[in-house]
Amino acid sequence: MASLGTFLLLAAFVTCSYSAVISVAGARRRSRRLIESGIGAFYLICAIMTAATAVLINAFLTGDFSIKYVAHNSDSVQPLFYKLTSYWGGLDGSIMFWVFLLSIFGSLAVYVNRERHRELIPYVVATISVVNMFFLFLMVIHKNPFTTYLTQVPADGEGLNPLLQNAYMAIHPPSLYTGFVGMTIPFAFGIAALITGHLDDSWLRAVRRWTMFSWLFLSFGLILGMIWAYEELGWGGYWAWDPVENAALLPWFTATAFLHSVMVQERRSMLRVWNVTLVIVTYFLTIFGTFMTRSGVVQSVHAFGDDPILARLFIGFMVIILTFSFGLVIWRLPLLKARNELDSWLSREAAFLVNNWVMLFAALFVLFGTMFPTLSEAVTGTRLTVAGAFFNKWMTPVGLVLLMLTGVGPLLAWRRSSFDKIAPQFLWPGLSGLVALAIAALYFKIPVWPSGLCFGLCGFVAGTIVQEFWKGAAIRSRNSGTDLLTALVGLVGKNKRRYGGYIVHVGITLICFGFAGNARKLDEQVLLKPGQETKIGKYTIKSNGVKVADDGQKQMTTAYLTVFVDGKEIDGLYPAKWAYRRHEQEPTTEVAIRRTPVEDLYAVLGGFDLADQSVTLQLVVNPLVNWVWFGFGIMALGTGIALLPERSFAFALAKMPAEAAATTVALLCVLLLSGTSLSAQSNMGGDMNTRTSFYARTPFEKEMQHEIVCTCGACGHQTIAECRKDPCATSHEMRGQLAAMIDSGVHDKDQIIQAFIAKYGTEEMLGAPVDRGFSRLAWLLPYLVGATSAVAIGFAAVKWSRKPDEAAVTAPAAIDSALEERIDDELRDLD
Amino acid sequence: MTHRYIKLGLTAAVLVLAFAGLLWSTLQDGTEYFKHVDEVMVNPQAWEGKPLQLHGYVIPGSILKRQDTLEYKFKVQNNPIRDVNQGHVVEVSYTGIVPDTFKGEAEVVLRGKLTTNGFHTDPGGVTAKCPSKYEAQARASAPGT
Repeated sequence: MASLGTFLLLAAFVTCSYSAVISVAGARRRSRRLIESGIGAFYLICAIMTAATAVLINAFLTGDFSIKYVAHNSDSVQPLFYKLTSYWGGLDGSIMFWVFLLSIFGSLAVYVNRERHRELIPYVVATISVVNMFFLFLMVIHKNPFTTYLTQVPADGEGLNPLLQNAYMAIHPPSLYTGFVGMTIPFAFGIAALITGHLDDSWLRAVRRWTMFSWLFLSFGLILGMIWAYEELGWGGYWAWDPVENAALLPWFTATAFLHSVMVQERRSMLRVWNVTLVIVTYFLTIFGTFMTRSGVVQSVHAFGDDPILARLFIGFMVIILTFSFGLVIWRLPLLKARNELDSWLSREAAFLVNNWVMLFAALFVLFGTMFPTLSEAVTGTRLTVAGAFFNKWMTPVGLVLLMLTGVGPLLAWRRSSFDKIAPQFLWPGLSGLVALAIAALYFKIPVWPSGLCFGLCGFVAGTIVQEFWKGAAIRSRNSGTDLLTALVGLVGKNKRRYGGYIVHVGITLICFGFAGNARKLDEQVLLKPGQETKIGKYTIKSNGVKVADDGQKQMTTAYLTVFVDGKEIDGLYPAKWAYRRHEQEPTTEVAIRRTPVEDLYAVLGGFDLADQSVTLQLVVNPLVNWVWFGFGIMALGTGIALLPERSFAFALAKMPAEAAATTVALLCVLLLSGTSLSAQSNMGGDMNTRTSFYARTPFEKEMQHEIVCTCGACGHQTIAECRKDPCATSHEMRGQLAAMIDSGVHDKDQIIQAFIAKYGTEEMLGAPVDRGFSRLAWLLPYLVGATSAVAIGFAAVKWSRKPDEAAVTAPAAIDSALEERIDDELRDLD
Repeated sequence: MTHRYIKLGLTAAVLVLAFAGLLWSTLQDGTEYFKHVDEVMVNPQAWEGKPLQLHGYVIPGSILKRQDTLEYKFKVQNNPIRDVNQGHVVEVSYTGIVPDTFKGEAEVVLRGKLTTNGFHTDPGGVTAKCPSKYEAQARASAPGT
């Protein structure tokens, strides 16, 4: 099966190169048949990747541990659900999942647009195929999920990381991936528009929905990550400015900016260069984010590995994206000239422009902060890290400005407004903002900066949106003679994008409302003996001791807490620590949360002492946190409305929002109420590593351990750092020998290698071919092949796409001469 | 026309300067030095009072916890415990909950400040790496190394 998988990946690579070349050739020769052939090959990639996915999933289901990726990420007793999610549980599989998704999305986008945007399609196909080729190349050469053990197959796998064994694993990564991968489609259309010079607004119309769709999933992925951190990891909060979180946030900023500025181009034919740039930058940031978290460039609690080869390949790819894309932009600058200029700073397009700058600034700033430790080390040699406080200090004003613009934008007219005209517009929203600010500051005694101001701005934005709906509905009801509610539904149905957008703004406002609650966050750590009490906020918490239970799979230590408010018992909280079999050293934290719309009471069991039944607790009061999740639900609803097809039946529309709202609310309730029950995980992960001895003590020793291969003959040429599965005497001895040499002061790599060669008589134990002489070929070959094929494909694309006339001129001549000869011969025979 | 450019240039200059100043001032108190125990303890006076992220390994058996409190005292050395040479050692104090992975031999990063009587860790400033699970993946050596 593994070889079938590898073959499918190779086949996909070949098909991608074919589809890229033939599409470009077809477009340049204006040959309908070649283009069709390219599209056909493009669909074929989708089919091949589906088959490859089926092979991998089959390997997981049947427990084919001869495949390394399966052995590393699953085991035989893992429940079906986690066997499936293990597909994207590791790096190799997630790259394959990326290609799989991209092939599906690409096929869909091409299928939908193949008639409407006929001139763009071949280049869209070519761009996506080339992107796919990069990832396939990455897999085939470096991270093949179908790599097998050569000789000894482990009896069982190592199991999925326990932290990944929960329900969020099933939806959080695919959602983020959908967002990331989906951004390739707008990029491909942008590139196609640049190449063909069809730079009017038609390519924007093709990608607007895709961007919205990807943006929605990106937002969903971010929110799910926050919920995951909040409920599973026991941080007490949901956002920590961790590099991996930031990586997903970067393209979100630029995509949001694009969704706004695209309206300016449609309405006013301005910002054309800017829009193309945003699409390119957004795509670049998705690749950059992947690079950042996968290559070990930044250090993070959950960066996924340290891989210099991957880093180099990604850097190469990113350089190519940037030079190629911006090269095209510069080449097409004359065509991208704006038809209009900004008339006034007091206009909606100006508000959009400011919004865009702030968004781009936010993206650049987060990028700067995330890369700062790496940058400072490169520049000064000292690693300086920036804490979350630094991000908060900067991003708070940025967020507030964006929130304000959310309220101001809709009140301004296109082209130009005057102060006299907009003053009455600002009356009610301004008032509602002031009232909100006053309530927050005076009644709840919340400091004005920044939380009070945030509440005030939430009031202002809410006022703006209500006013917009009210005015629109009032006019429509007057014109059509219906009642206000029907007019409201009709209004939304008529201008789905506009009013859907406003609903998204309501969601954003609610999320900001939830963020502002952080001002009143309480966080305490206490040690309680049975019967002792502690106070946090309005709650009194009493400990009733700990109990230990065992369900055969794990040992569960649960703290029993009673919660009192004003002397009255209101609830019980049961935070726990679960220690799974074979994972006793890494217990999981089971958070207990008491949810209300006003605030969450959140308890983490930090430690316990069974002897005196004392418990160490982290207690957190998180005000308004549930509004963040609820706000996202509203945002999704709004995006859904904006995504609806233009020509839906009014009848269907009239029913739609209510039902969609009900469904969303129901889904959200399920999500909110799920709480700890969602985290009921069935961890079957096994830690097989009966690692024996001689762990690397220094980086040098580690490097050497990874260079030298165990000669036991049973492990399939694993390095001596890896061959620890079973007590392996050979690798043990070799590691010992290495350690002894290093201890005796040998720090020269060649010397050690020579010593090993002398001892074992061959070069067999070299983990990698020696990088000199003939052996260097082994290193260069794959890269040479890759480079050569890239050049060959480019060459073929140019050659095949040459105008047919030269061939037409020469070919008939050839036929003629042959014909003439034959006729001559025949005539001679006749003679 | 030139007047306009001068105005624009001045505005831009003021904005850029203000931004740079703001960035500089916030970076001053927003950053922490990431240092290994050896780097700091060679000249401890120079580092006293500066915000640090201190990297080291917990010496087994050195962890002391005061009865019925969350006060910890432990020792951290520069090199992994298995190493023959342990490097410099620093005494650490901390009050709060420690992560599950915090124990003897664990690789830790401590956020806090160095004082004359040891390293004071901020609340929640203990990050411990699990020694086995997240070991860096096998890295194939690249050409030229």
